[in-house]
Amino acid sequence: MDLSREKLIHMYKTMKRIREFENKAGELFAEGSIPGFVHLYIGEEAVATGVCANLKDSDFITSTHRGHGHIVAKGGDLKYMFAELFGKATGYCKGKGGSMHIADADKGILGANGIVGAGHNIAVGAGLTAKYKGADQVCVCFFGDGSTNQGTFHESLNLASIWKLPVIFVCENNLYGISMHQSRHQAIQDVADRAVAYNIPGVVVDGNDVLAVYETAKEAIERARNGQGPTLIECKTYRHRGHFEGDPVVYRDEEEVKEWLAKDPIPRLINYMLDNDIVTEEDIKKIDEEVDAEIKEAIKFAEESPYPPLEAAVEDIYTDLVEEVRR
Amino acid sequence: MKAIGIIANPASGKDIRRLVSHATVVDNNEKVNIVKRIILSAQGCGVERIYIMPDTFLIGYKAIEDLKISKELNIDVEILNMNIKGNVTDTIRATEIMEKIGVKCIVVLGGDGTNRAVAKAITNTPLIGVSTGTNNVYPEMIEGTVVGMAAGVIASQTCNIGETCMRDKRVEVFRDGQLVDIALVDCVISKQTYVGSKAIWNIEEIDQVIVSRAHPAAIGFSTIVGTSLIVEEEDDFGALIQVNSGRDRVIVPIAAGTIQEILVDKPRILGLDESVHFKPTYNGIMALDGEREVPFKAGEDIEIKVTRRGPYRVIIDRTLELAQRNGFFKR
Repeated sequence: MDLSREKLIHMYKTMKRIREFENKAGELFAEGSIPGFVHLYIGEEAVATGVCANLKDSDFITSTHRGHGHIVAKGGDLKYMFAELFGKATGYCKGKGGSMHIADADKGILGANGIVGAGHNIAVGAGLTAKYKGADQVCVCFFGDGSTNQGTFHESLNLASIWKLPVIFVCENNLYGISMHQSRHQAIQDVADRAVAYNIPGVVVDGNDVLAVYETAKEAIERARNGQGPTLIECKTYRHRGHFEGDPVVYRDEEEVKEWLAKDPIPRLINYMLDNDIVTEEDIKKIDEEVDAEIKEAIKFAEESPYPPLEAAVEDIYTDLVEEVRR
Repeated sequence: MKAIGIIANPASGKDIRRLVSHATVVDNNEKVNIVKRIILSAQGCGVERIYIMPDTFLIGYKAIEDLKISKELNIDVEILNMNIKGNVTDTIRATEIMEKIGVKCIVVLGGDGTNRAVAKAITNTPLIGVSTGTNNVYPEMIEGTVVGMAAGVIASQTCNIGETCMRDKRVEVFRDGQLVDIALVDCVISKQTYVGSKAIWNIEEIDQVIVSRAHPAAIGFSTIVGTSLIVEEEDDFGALIQVNSGRDRVIVPIAAGTIQEILVDKPRILGLDESVHFKPTYNGIMALDGEREVPFKAGEDIEIKVTRRGPYRVIIDRTLELAQRNGFFKR
């Protein structure tokens, strides 16, 4: 498989960008600069990165409550993301959506989503649009293991299968739905087993190996573009942090956490690139510095941006009833 | 004690080959069903105790529970007391424990990869490989009932192991004189440099294939040899073939539903224990029984041999024929 130096460096930089964005978001939340909730993607970077490295700007993604990683990987602008987290008028949703609703139509990002399992239906809609228009587009639907017991998951796989829609269902199985271990909420170990019920391919992949995710997603995306229909890819991964920032995480075993921290996807890619003389330590340092600078600049932009004016509360909404309020 | 062991891999049969080929899908619930059929059939053929490897899908527990509910279980079936990691080390550890217990036969549900893991640990215990992986070469696609019968015959010790089993060949890979890994069927030398999704399918990146057995009726990389030269398990030799060089064009069943034309050299026969030294000019990886496993660097000296140090594999038809002649089935 063709994996150029440029592609590998791009994937490393994307993972690093996600990791540092999340580290900073966690810090800012802890110090009270970010309102609402944040659900960090730290540890799962290889999934969004490996999948989105195969996508074009015109392709779609749907995301989840843990969506920052998907948005960064699909090309979201860190400045507007931080501004949204801060609730500023320059944010992706003009400061009114927060962490869980970031969208960027120009990049095909159909939105993070605070409702568990709500992205599936949107992804099928996007896939139907692409097929109806005959466009060379696919939609990747990211979701967690917890959402695979929702009716939306089953309805979406069924519709995507019978209509052979260009949708790639990517399950980020991090073993927990909030605090509930997968073994307590479903009688299967591999979510990919559910593909057989809808007559679509189901594949399990190491979600902490960006190269494994990349090549699996590449095949599934090509298949979708060729009109062969959807695929369910299950990426086995782990979130390093709790379900949300502030979660005391009393439900996880220390040994389990230790084992997964040792499988951190970022050092794995660095080691591969160093071992194969693709990059030097200096190259890595330079990329890390570039990412740091980008994060600092994005936070500065967000901090210096204004809050939305009071009247913005009744703008961009779907009803005219608020005319009374406006008056 | 007429005891047997069962190792069922819950992870087999779910890799990328479901995308890059038309590979078989065997879900874990079907593995539970196969285990149930093996247990009942072994029980019917006189096995007194069965040990099962614990796994993350709880295949063994589910089989036992179902058989207890249906009141069909009359013998002791025990899940091995071991911590599980949810990876290949479970299979290796379970094999070691079963051998220590002294089971008379180990039944393995999985693909070439699972059988290869068992082969790393097994010594003299006969093995039956049941394919629940990706259209495999080593394990057979065979009904669980028949498997349980053969395991029962082996456990009864009424037939000579020399007649019921064959010691298989294997491909051994050495680095600096140390054995680093084995394959039961094929070792593929590829110019790809990373493990990634483990399975290997891109012909363009393949340099050489070393096989312990080869036949056109198999599926996978060993058929690159097998479409030019048949190497039976009984033959005291293996073979090596250069790929993407030479002058012969052959069509090869490289994966399930995939017949591919490739350029090959004439296969070269490798006698048992004959060393082949491979000195790559590029960084690459060796795929063992279809899975990328051993990375190597340009300039390394890698030694590869085909030996007859593989597992003792139960030849099912022959075992049941011998049992019939010995009156095993008469009551």
